[in-house]
Parts: sequence; C-alpha cells; structure tokens
Amino acid sequence: MKKLLHLATLLVAVALFAAACGTGAAPSPTASPVATVPPSAAPSPTPEATPNASPEPSPTIVPLFSKEGTLTIWVDGGRVKIMQALGEQFTAKYGVPVVVQELGFGDVRDQLKIAGPANEGPDIIIGAHDWLGELVSNGLLAPLNLGAKAKSFDPVGLKALSYDGKLYGLPYLTEAIALYYNKDLVPNPPKTWKELKAIAQKLQDDKKVEQGYVLQQADPYHSYPIFSGFGGYIFGRDASGSYDATDLGLDSPGGIAAAKEIESMIKSGLLRADVNYEVMMTLFKEGKSAMFMTGPWALNDVRAAKVNYGVAKIPKMTEAARPFVGVQGFMVSAFGKNQLLAETFLTEYIATDETMQALYDAVPNAPAWLPLRAKVTDKDIAVFAQSAADGDPMPAIPQMSSVWEAWSKAITLIYQQQQPAEQAIKDAAETIRQQIAASQ
Amino acid sequence: MPPRRSGSRLRLPSSPNGGAAPGAAPPFLLRLGLTIAALCAIDALALALAFSLAADGLLVPAALLLVVTTAVNWIFVSARAYPVRWLAPGLLLTLLLVVYPLVYTVYLSFTNYSDGHLLTKEQVVAQMERQRFAAESAADYAWRVYRSPDGSFTLWLTDAVGKSFLASGEMGLQAIAADDPRLGPVDPEDGLPRTIGESAKLSRLEAVRHLSELQHLSITAGDDTIRITSLDSAARERQKYTYDPIRDLLTDNETGTAYRPVEGTFTAADGATLSPGFAAVVGPRNFGRAFTDPQIRGPFLGVFAWTFAFAGLSVLLVFTVGLGLALVLNERRLPLRGIFRSLIIVPYAIPGFISALVWVGLLNPFYGPINLGLESLFGFSPPWFSDGTLAKVAILLVNTWLGYPYMLLVSLGALQSIPDELYEAAKIDGASKRQQFRFITLPLLLVSVAPLLIGAFAFNFNNFAVIDLVTEGGPPTPGTATPAGQTDILISYTYRLAFAGGRGSDYAFSAAVSILIFFIIAAITAFNFRFTRSLERVSENV
Repeated sequence: MKKLLHLATLLVAVALFAAACGTGAAPSPTASPVATVPPSAAPSPTPEATPNASPEPSPTIVPLFSKEGTLTIWVDGGRVKIMQALGEQFTAKYGVPVVVQELGFGDVRDQLKIAGPANEGPDIIIGAHDWLGELVSNGLLAPLNLGAKAKSFDPVGLKALSYDGKLYGLPYLTEAIALYYNKDLVPNPPKTWKELKAIAQKLQDDKKVEQGYVLQQADPYHSYPIFSGFGGYIFGRDASGSYDATDLGLDSPGGIAAAKEIESMIKSGLLRADVNYEVMMTLFKEGKSAMFMTGPWALNDVRAAKVNYGVAKIPKMTEAARPFVGVQGFMVSAFGKNQLLAETFLTEYIATDETMQALYDAVPNAPAWLPLRAKVTDKDIAVFAQSAADGDPMPAIPQMSSVWEAWSKAITLIYQQQQPAEQAIKDAAETIRQQIAASQ
Repeated sequence: MPPRRSGSRLRLPSSPNGGAAPGAAPPFLLRLGLTIAALCAIDALALALAFSLAADGLLVPAALLLVVTTAVNWIFVSARAYPVRWLAPGLLLTLLLVVYPLVYTVYLSFTNYSDGHLLTKEQVVAQMERQRFAAESAADYAWRVYRSPDGSFTLWLTDAVGKSFLASGEMGLQAIAADDPRLGPVDPEDGLPRTIGESAKLSRLEAVRHLSELQHLSITAGDDTIRITSLDSAARERQKYTYDPIRDLLTDNETGTAYRPVEGTFTAADGATLSPGFAAVVGPRNFGRAFTDPQIRGPFLGVFAWTFAFAGLSVLLVFTVGLGLALVLNERRLPLRGIFRSLIIVPYAIPGFISALVWVGLLNPFYGPINLGLESLFGFSPPWFSDGTLAKVAILLVNTWLGYPYMLLVSLGALQSIPDELYEAAKIDGASKRQQFRFITLPLLLVSVAPLLIGAFAFNFNNFAVIDLVTEGGPPTPGTATPAGQTDILISYTYRLAFAGGRGSDYAFSAAVSILIFFIIAAITAFNFRFTRSLERVSENV
C-alpha cells in the first residue's frame, strides 16, 4: 500500500515535471502584435516601449537557432501565422524546411544581441530599420544583395535599410503617422494647424468633447511632426543625404518654436499631460475626442470601435509637417548557418508579387514592394502611404539613442510645465551633445 | 571498505526499520546499489557534457565540471564526507547561481562589454576574414552546378563575355574546350551538358536545396577565391583582411594597412578603426567613470537619500499597517474574524505587477477613479506623476498596499506565540493596554519580526519593479543632464544609466555600478545584523 502511494507520488511528480517542460517549450504568447504598436523606435512612452522597459517577465523561452539546411525565422506574433504559411509553401516548392519562431517584436532584436556572442542566431528576422545602427555596429547582420529585384522596391525603404553604404534588409513595409478624425465631429479634416486648433477649441468650448485634439504625451515619435512642421529637425544631413550626428537641430529656431507651440497648447488646454497611448485611443473610440495622430497600427482598433472616422494627412504648420517614417524589413543574421540560402529565400521567394500580396493581406500596411503599392485600394492605407512618402526616415545612427531619452524628457518637462519650453529643449540638446561627444 | 561499518554509517537516522529489523541487509545493499547507479548516471552525464564542452573549445567550464563531479563522487562514496552530502546540492546551486554570476559580474565590470563590443575577438576576426574585395583579376560569373554521386560539386561558370569555365574544389578553375571528353550530351534548354563525367546537372530548384552545402564551396584561383554569392551569380574575389595571431595584427590586403587591437577595436596607426569591436578587458575605468562623470555623480546623493527614505519609509509603513491590522484581527471580541482575515489577505493573493498597474490607473489624473473622486469632493486633482513629491507619495502608497499583507501574516503569527500569562501578569501589575503593547507585545514581536524587517528593507532598497511600474522613475528632474528621475532609486537609476541613458546597452558599466551598490547594501546589512543581535539580547532577558 505504502509502495503504491510512493509510486503514485512519483508518477504525479513526473507528470508535473513533464507538464512544466511542456509549457516551457511551447512558444509562449509574446507582446502585442506589431499591428498594434508603433515602430520599435522610441525608447519613450510609446506603447511598445513601455512593456519593454518594465521588468515584466518577457518570454524566457530559448529561441530556436539556425541549423545548417533548415531556415529559421524569428518574427513577432502578428506575423507568425502568415510566415508559417509561407514557410510551408517554400518547403513544398524547394524541399528546404522552414522553422518560424515567435518572439515579441523588440525581443527579436534583444535576443539577437544575446545569441550572436554565443555564435548562434536565426537565419532571418523581421525588424525595423532603426535597429540597424545597433545591430550592424555589433556585427550581428549580414549584408544583403537583392540583385535585379532591388528596383522593384521603394527607394526610401532601400535607403532606410542601408547602413554605411551597404544594404542590410529587404524592405517590406513603410509606416508613418497621420491624423485620425471623427467625421461626426469634424466633417472636413483641417488643412492647417491653426484650423486644427480652432476646431479643437470650439469643440471643447461647446462641451462636445473632453479634449478636441489629443497627442500622446512626451513621446518624441508622435511629436516629431510638430517639430518638423515648425522648421525643426533632429540631425542635419550631409552631402550624401545621410544623417550627420554633429549637426543636432533640436534647439534650432524651428525646434524651439515647436517646443513653444506645445507649451502654448498646454497652457490653452488644447493638450494635456498624463495622456498615454491607451488614453489617447480610449478617448477617440468613445467619441470624447475628435482628432489624434498615430499610425496604421491603430486602424483595426479604431475600425472595431465603430467610430465614423477618417484619416487625413497631418495639417500644414509653418511648413509641411513631416512624420518619422519607419521601414520594416527582412534581415539576415550574421550568425545564421545558411546565409546563402537565407538570401535566396528573400530574393527568390519573398520578393515576389504573390508573397508580398499575402504579407499585405495578413497585416495591411503601406507596402515597400512597388508593384503592390500601385494596387492598394484601401484609402486609409493610401493616406498613410502618402504620409510616409513625404516623411523623414527615422535616423538609425547609434547616436539616436541619446536623442530619444533626452528629447522625451524635455517634452515631459514641457507638458508638466516644470520648465519653460525653450530652456527644456536647450537643456536636452546640450545633454545630447555631451553624450555624443563622450561616446566618440 | 568493510561493508558493515559503513553500513551503520550510511543508515538514515530517521530510518524506521534500521538495523534492528531482520531485513536490514537487503535495504542497505539496495541503497548502496542505487547510490552507485545514480553516481554512474551522473558521472556519465557529466563526462558527456564535459566532452562536448571541450569540443566547443570551452576548456575551463569542462575542467570545472569534472572537478565538481569528482567532488560529488567523493562526497557520496567517502564515509567521512557523509554530513556534507546533505549540503552538497545547496552548495552546488550556490556555486552555480550565486558565486558564478558574482565572479562574472566582477569580470564584466573590468571589460568594455557594451554595444559595439559584444562579440569575442575570435568572432570579429572570423567576420573580418570572411570579407572579400575585388582585385584586378576579379570577375563575376553565372553558375550552374553538377553534383557527383559522392556529393561533391562542380561548377559551370560563364563570365560576362560568355566564356565558360569548370571549377571545383579539387581542380580549381579551368577553361573548357568544346571537345572535352567529360562533357555529356547537351541539354537543349540551356545549351549546357547534362552531365560532366559522373556528375549530373542540378536544376535551379534543386540547387536551392543544396545551397547550405554550396555556401562552403571555395575554389582557389591564383590569389583569389571563387564563391557563390547568390542563386544566379558567383564571384572571383580576394580575401580583404588577414589576421596574424603571432604579431596580433589584422592586415587589409587591399590597402596594406595594419590594424592593431586597442581596447577591443582594431585600430590603424592613423587612428582609423574597424567595426565591429570586441569585448576586451579595459581595467577599472568603469569604476572611475561612476565617480567622475558629472552626469552620474551629480544626482547620486539625491538618489541615494531617496533610496534610503523609500526603503525605510516603506518598511515603517508596511509594518505599521500590518501590525495595526494584526492587533485588530487578533482581538477576540472582533466578530467575523475569519472573514476579515481572509479579506485583508486578498491583496497578497493578487500578483504585485497587476496591483501596481491597477494603482497606476487608479491614480491617473485624467480618468483615474481616485482623482475623479477627489475632484468631485474637494475640487482638487493631484497630479500624481507630474510632481516630484506627489510621485513619491504615490510610490509609497502603492508599495504599502503591496507589502502590508505579508507583515500582517507575520505579525499575526508572532502575536499568537506571545504567552497570555504575560498579559495576565501585566494586568495584575496594573499595566494599561498601551503599556502592555509597549513593554510586552512590541519587544517580543520584534525578536521574531526584526530579521524580516531587515529583509524587507534590503528588498525595498532594490525594489526595481515598483519604481519602474508605477512612475518609471519620473517625473524627470528639470535643469540637469542626467536621466535620473525624481523617484529613481539606486537600482533603477543604474538601469537607466546602463540601458536608457543614450548609451545603448552598457553591460560593463552597469556591472561596475551594481558592484558599488553591493558594497552599500553589504554595509547596511552588516549594521542591521548588529542591531538584530541587540534585539536578541532583549529576548534573552525576557
């Protein structure tokens, strides 16, 4: 009897252990799909960056590494299904097995940085162009040659995915923010910034909304159109069009004008502190705000909310407002064991009309594949594509990481009215210059 | 080894049917057999692991593994080491999970392991040596591949002017004569022979399947090598960098420049550097930086003071609230005690992360219920996260909520262990309730609770999670160039310096700062232990 009991205990223990192993090995659900998060960029309070910064237990699974003869691809949750389907088709056609590993969008980059020094890595990742500085300077990506296929890609995308004159990615989509507006409250989208402010003020005065226009607080990414619209810039460009880290334009007259504009909107109640991405979305979806700016990742959310919405280009300020453009693409790991095969997978299989169409159908976005872009009929996506075409590629140079932090701090200080706008932005620029000088 | 003697030694003290029972010998033999079997299994596993480690070039870990395995064997075989047996698993885990990370952190703090220096020198050299450049003899070819039955490959190369070559690892590059006897019948589709000798042509599709092997194909042609660069092209190029391990020099074969490793970067005489760099030992520079960099030193005192205040106040608040509730719940006159006890413990059952995030929502000045309530009642909506002082209050509030149930549990247990006679005696002596609490409850309670208070203090001293979840260190400090916010404690400040201060990921520097924090905490703990010892004296007197 006693023995039986022992045996039973042992069996339970083994079962539990097996169960624990089982759940440990299964790909755990990771951060929100890319479709709902803004580009990787900002280490600032964007919805994507917040879960990253917090010490939440991110998936502790050990990602699958590349093995010779098997293509291993790391993608975020939003694209796992489509990549698995594409992988199966590739296997059927070429007889090469494809393994798709799901990771959170930012985890793809972080895990690559951990795997590389151990001589491991996937073959292919899907990443954002502004990771390039970090990944290439650490020797984690292999240069890519698209051959004759290159001319079918948006040149902005190719340029964004190049670093030090070499191409490191196959561009797949470009994204930039635009203005969402509630057609019931704002029949015609504002053409100028003055107009936008007047509409917002009127709606607030008439108590039709809580906040006529909302902008995510302290977030450089969503605030950049105001900076560029008032003539500010982040880094100047050298003769070849690359960003020049020695020419910081945050505290240029235009940058200061933009900071003062934000300050005056705070003072007149047109902008509010303590708004984050969730508040911004909730207010709009409940009809409590009439306008806000964000990217195509919010489309599904807004559509589901049954708001009579429209998407328009960002209104003109003293000059045309240019949003940051993010480019996502397929990149080849320097530690993959099948680099030639990986490159062939991209040029022969991904860079085709059918695959690009399938990728678009899975996650609608402004495609970087020109033959497909010509065919996009979704008018919202068309606006976002136009916005991206007129935007500035987010700087990918490593010095940009200094900028995000200090810039975000300056905007927070302005929002919270802890410091005059001009002083805050000048302090930030000074900090960034010191850090760039120190790191050289 | 005389089996009987060691048998008596090996017997478990608690073994119910020890030597007295008639069946004493078989369990002993069985046990010995099991021990040996288990040891054999462990040894086999360790040996296999050591071999695979050594094969990967990790000699030090392999040697360490063998040493540890030998020690385990000795512990389980030697009779003298019998008592150690029960400690061994704990010691092993300590080595693995405490000592090893500690040693590694110290090592890291003396390197430049950070963005741009993540790889090892060998990895960087290997990457450099893979780079090619186009020499004057360079050429691009279109290629088709022929595979022999034994799996070797021959390439059919066609250059830009339409001249064809055969190339393989063994024969190198050869021009093709039209009447070469090896060439098989011509395939009308592409005008190439179907076979070359024994080798059969692979279609483009079949070639894809063999790309992982073909990428290793490197055909020597003069000073150059021919390699497949894509599914349609092969290139004749020259190796760009050659590394000389004896002189420790990396030479650029194109320009002749020599690069010497300087602190983890290959640097030429004129200061030009190659990217990526590698991790290298750079000395105590990281520690120096922690003391001299004005961005770091400037806010240090403020952060330090707030860390103490945060940890101290947290413990005080948590203990006060916990003990207060425990006293109430311990009161026999309280009706429905069981229900209250269960209810009050509920916050303990909810994961701290969720509670903290819920609190952030509750305190939101825009839509948080607390602020909406305050506004409608008093017309006042505190900007919890924009004002430094209020943010500190909010953090303490949330932390008290998260921490009091634990103190409540502990205090309840400790209160019940205080004998009732003491209170009776006190009552007879005419002590008031307050005096009873002051002179009986508190001192006796502290004897068992004080070590936990110290633990709570040390825990809160490094309570990164609450800070990062509630305020992310904010609000920012105006007028400074530091990333430190007004609610940052040392550990979250370290995190911001290392990973968010615009420096990319600086593991080496954060290792140095965490070592400095370790010294601070060690000092505090030492002081605290002294303090506890004095409390123990209290208990001896009671």
